[in-house]
Amino acid sequence: MPMASPLPQTRSDGSGATPVGVWAAVLVGPGALLALALVGGANPVAAIPVALASGAAGLLLARRALRKPDRWTAPAPVPATVDQPPPFALILETLPDPLMVIAAEEADDLTGRRFVFANAAARELFKLQPRGGLLVSAMRNPQVLEAVDESLFGGLRRSTDYVSGGAQGREWVAHSAPLGVDARGSRLALLVLSDETDTRRSERTRADFLANASHELRTPLASLSGFIETLRGHAKDDVGARDKFLGIMQAQAERMARLIDDLMSLSRIELNEHIPPLGQVDLVMATIDVLDALAPQAKDKAVAFDPILPPRGAAMVEGDRDQIVQVIQNLVDNAMKYTPRDGVVRVEIFSGLTADMAAAPRDPAAARMSLLTPDHALEERYASFRVTDKGPGMAREHLPRLTERFYRVEGQKSGERSGTGLGLAIVKHIMNRHRGGLCVESVQGEGATFGVYFPMAKAVQGPSASTPEPVGRALS
Amino acid sequence: MTEHTVKSYGEELNHLTAEVTRMGGLAEAQVADAIECIARRDGPLAQQVVARDERLDTLQAEIERKAFKLIALRQPMAVDLRHAVAALKISMSLERCGDMAKNIGKRALILTEADPMTALTRSIERMGKLVQGRLKDVLDAYTASDLQRAIGVWGRDEEVDEHYNAIFRELLTYMMGDPRTINPCAHLLFVAKNLERIGDHATNIAEIIHFELTGEEIISQRPKLELSK
Repeated sequence: MPMASPLPQTRSDGSGATPVGVWAAVLVGPGALLALALVGGANPVAAIPVALASGAAGLLLARRALRKPDRWTAPAPVPATVDQPPPFALILETLPDPLMVIAAEEADDLTGRRFVFANAAARELFKLQPRGGLLVSAMRNPQVLEAVDESLFGGLRRSTDYVSGGAQGREWVAHSAPLGVDARGSRLALLVLSDETDTRRSERTRADFLANASHELRTPLASLSGFIETLRGHAKDDVGARDKFLGIMQAQAERMARLIDDLMSLSRIELNEHIPPLGQVDLVMATIDVLDALAPQAKDKAVAFDPILPPRGAAMVEGDRDQIVQVIQNLVDNAMKYTPRDGVVRVEIFSGLTADMAAAPRDPAAARMSLLTPDHALEERYASFRVTDKGPGMAREHLPRLTERFYRVEGQKSGERSGTGLGLAIVKHIMNRHRGGLCVESVQGEGATFGVYFPMAKAVQGPSASTPEPVGRALS
Repeated sequence: MTEHTVKSYGEELNHLTAEVTRMGGLAEAQVADAIECIARRDGPLAQQVVARDERLDTLQAEIERKAFKLIALRQPMAVDLRHAVAALKISMSLERCGDMAKNIGKRALILTEADPMTALTRSIERMGKLVQGRLKDVLDAYTASDLQRAIGVWGRDEEVDEHYNAIFRELLTYMMGDPRTINPCAHLLFVAKNLERIGDHATNIAEIIHFELTGEEIISQRPKLELSK
């Protein structure tokens, strides 16, 4: 099998040729496939590596052409070295879509089905060793396995939906296609996954947005039109009533605006939830900024902050600054709302924690709930941000539902500037995008603590961590 | 794992693991679909879930037969014996998970005839996703022989319990408020209970994996919540 031992040696010299190679393969794909269908019949062994590449390219081309026609109509750049064959192995390895070649001998032999090649994207997705292994160790979804079987033993091309689990689940379409028989008599099939998360998610988000918006905007809208009716009717000439009503109407309009803002930002966050954020943020700096910005409001409410923060730079985390600021702001804002006058909101940051430590309860007597737990990653270190208020707290039964949209704890008033009911939902989605966690602790009548924790930036964990880091990833 | 002198012996053991993993995939899909048909009120999908349970039963019987045969003919020792026994026990747990998914499917069929109760089914879906995640994690731990990951699943049981207790209270509130909801709510209560049991099976599988890999039981006590009244 030429494909089973890919790339370390080709990588060193072939990197310059890669983009050209990809272009060439994609454009040549369908033609090559057709030609090889004929050649393959006569000489199956020789045809495999090429058929493999062109099969993959063909599948990809068909998909890409459907989705983004404009990107592929440009004239093909002329390869610098036309006479050299493109490095097919490298092309497959660098494709962004997970791709595997599966071999099997007999239909009823489960251990016989193995992957003999998996490109970088597939190894990353299924956390595989590059040297091949049992198919079920990578993929156990029954529908995909069935599709692969039909390609292996029925010679059919199949497509089926596949959802990879985990906190940031992704939706794929799995394409399988037969690749003939190799020199040792093993049947081969190609399995390519294409990421449909964006499309599916935007459909669903749009539907959710409409449902939520139409439902939640109805109340303030009804109140607005009620007051308009009154103002046009019997309150027409009553100056006192008019001022009062206009004040209420303005408050309602502002509430509608806040709702729409929050719904929009929730939709945006949801759409990007599966894309990890780039960049590094100093959690301490971000917290100081938020506290400064909220100082006037705190003064109005006679609430004091009690920040216990490590020095700057001690809690560098991986993330998107705007979103992290939004998390801190939502949490501190919430704490302020529920803190009585002359109360204190405590804000703390800890760094260098393991996931278990970050999620650990502080008060054993309190009801505690983890609202979001990151996927298991042993060597990851976290920086945690906690905010504690001395408000009324919540009973245990409310905790699991806190991040639901528009969920309200019964009998609690959040003050005159009432929230939209989306604050914690936004926090949860941002934290999920950041591969972090969210937990809450509460004693009824004594207050509540909300804690979020972010994976720390890699450069901070060890001075020389930047080079060995990818190796650790591949092994985990 | 140590090399075996007779090659096909090692292959037989691998084969057993592969079968259990495949069965795990099927159980996972059943649980996922069962949750889906509650959330989307999907009658035809529920019928499929009910019908597909038979395949899990067949697979379980097959694994049991193979494990017995391996133990009888090869007389494995130490880690190999634990390997075979773990396959046997995990397949039994998975078969129970499948039964529970089938039961959820049956109740989904009844629930599609009642009025939709979106708030409640959302809570159930939320709990379902959590349970599904645990099942996935524990099966990943099994295929990768990842002890830490198995311990991770084992230690996070109380999240599911919290959800179950919250749903229990929520359902009681609904039933007290409007007696017409008692019928669908009773079914949803069993759905939640089934999900909680699937979560327990995930914990159980984590314990089996721990024993398989180390030869020791997990001894420390897990934090347990008090029962709902």
